[in-house]
Amino acid sequence: MNADWMIQTQDLSKCYGDHEVIHHISLEVRCGERMALFAPSGAGKTTLIRILAGLEQPTSGTVQLNEEYPALIFQEPRLFPYMTVEENVRLPWKVRGMEWTGQVQCEFEEWLDVAELSSWKRYYPYQLSGGMRQKVALIRGLLSHPALALLDEPFQSINRDSRTAIIEHIRSRNPELTLLLVTHDPEEVPMLADSVCYFTSNRLVSPAKLEAHRFLDIFSQYINPAGILTAGY
Amino acid sequence: MLTEAVGILVILAVWGGVSLLYPPYIIPSPADVIAGVSDYLPVDLAHHLIVTLGRIITGFLIAFVIGTAGGIVTVLTRADKPVNSLMVALQVVPGTILGVIFLLMFGIGNATPILLVAFLTLPTLAINTVNGLSKRKSTTEGYLRSIHATNWQLIRYSYLPALVPVLQSNLSLGMSMAVKVVVLGEFIGSQDGIGYLLNNARILFNMREVFFYLLVLMAFSLGFQALHTLVFTVSLKKYAYPEAV
Repeated sequence: MNADWMIQTQDLSKCYGDHEVIHHISLEVRCGERMALFAPSGAGKTTLIRILAGLEQPTSGTVQLNEEYPALIFQEPRLFPYMTVEENVRLPWKVRGMEWTGQVQCEFEEWLDVAELSSWKRYYPYQLSGGMRQKVALIRGLLSHPALALLDEPFQSINRDSRTAIIEHIRSRNPELTLLLVTHDPEEVPMLADSVCYFTSNRLVSPAKLEAHRFLDIFSQYINPAGILTAGY
Repeated sequence: MLTEAVGILVILAVWGGVSLLYPPYIIPSPADVIAGVSDYLPVDLAHHLIVTLGRIITGFLIAFVIGTAGGIVTVLTRADKPVNSLMVALQVVPGTILGVIFLLMFGIGNATPILLVAFLTLPTLAINTVNGLSKRKSTTEGYLRSIHATNWQLIRYSYLPALVPVLQSNLSLGMSMAVKVVVLGEFIGSQDGIGYLLNNARILFNMREVFFYLLVLMAFSLGFQALHTLVFTVSLKKYAYPEAV
């Protein structure tokens, strides 16, 4: 790492035909920062994450990441149906030619315990519930201690208790993790993030980053159950 | 195996039922056919069986390898539409005409039935491969790209597993076609094989013999079906597990 920032975007825009999905977004996430992009459904947040991960090219503007292998965790688990839970989690190690050491195995067992999946590691994805599959995807993404994680609504099918336990585990096991969480659930913001931006209708609305612990105090009266800011803001 | 056995029983039951409505010189009953086996079967039946089986397997393997590989290359090069059109066009060439052309080119022997099986089965297998691979899930591919998988890793973890059900249906579909087509090939350009025997029996209206050879062809088809179902169930079952995104 040779800079104090992890993500930098400058005037980032993305259009599909005439439809502008992202409008001139400039954003900086510093190393070790945990930022939430709070956004209602359809605001363009998944597109933003895909551009940051290099899966799509922006129409204009620039993206810089100070990490070669960010962990990208999608809204849906994207597990391989013919691999067991353990085989799915081991896949990134195989793909990158890394050694699955005893230490990694211990941490994997620890993750399984936190996620209440210890007795499920030899099961296939179709035998698991939606929440369990999502937890496997989180373990697969975070077990390798990535320097940067891009999380696209990763907790939406996970129950509250499990979510709390997993978030605590992320905080304790990966204290240096830089994280960009995209969510439309206002509760998740202060749990996982230190700072928050509000992102709606393809642009950043909040003039500057807000501290996450103040987020609910400031926004709660304006947020309707769908996670959308009401007219008072 | 049970499915194949049930299939045979249903066919025998329907055949037995229909045979009650017609005299034995039109539709003999299954019992008539079996009871008279010693009267009409040639002494060198084993030779004919082996020859036909060899032609089915050879022609089918040519079609299977070229059709499946061609389908994969087509998907990888995104040439689905033109290749599909070409294969559909090839499918309408009548087998009898093609058989006569091969007969004129290669004479009587193994070449005509084998090439006929290969040519008539190949387009179906290629189209099936293209369709099967086109329907693979792109979500896991997206994940692989996000972890910087190489092209070979994409093929290994995404394309090849998607190919397993395609191979299974290609084996099932292609083998049934191959059994049907080899008979045509042996009708036109051969002096041995089950198709040749069937043609002779048909010309002489020896319906017991005709029905016996039809049973043999069905047994080929169902036997192969049972074999590849067993292989897939034992060793490749996990590739048929449903996608759970």
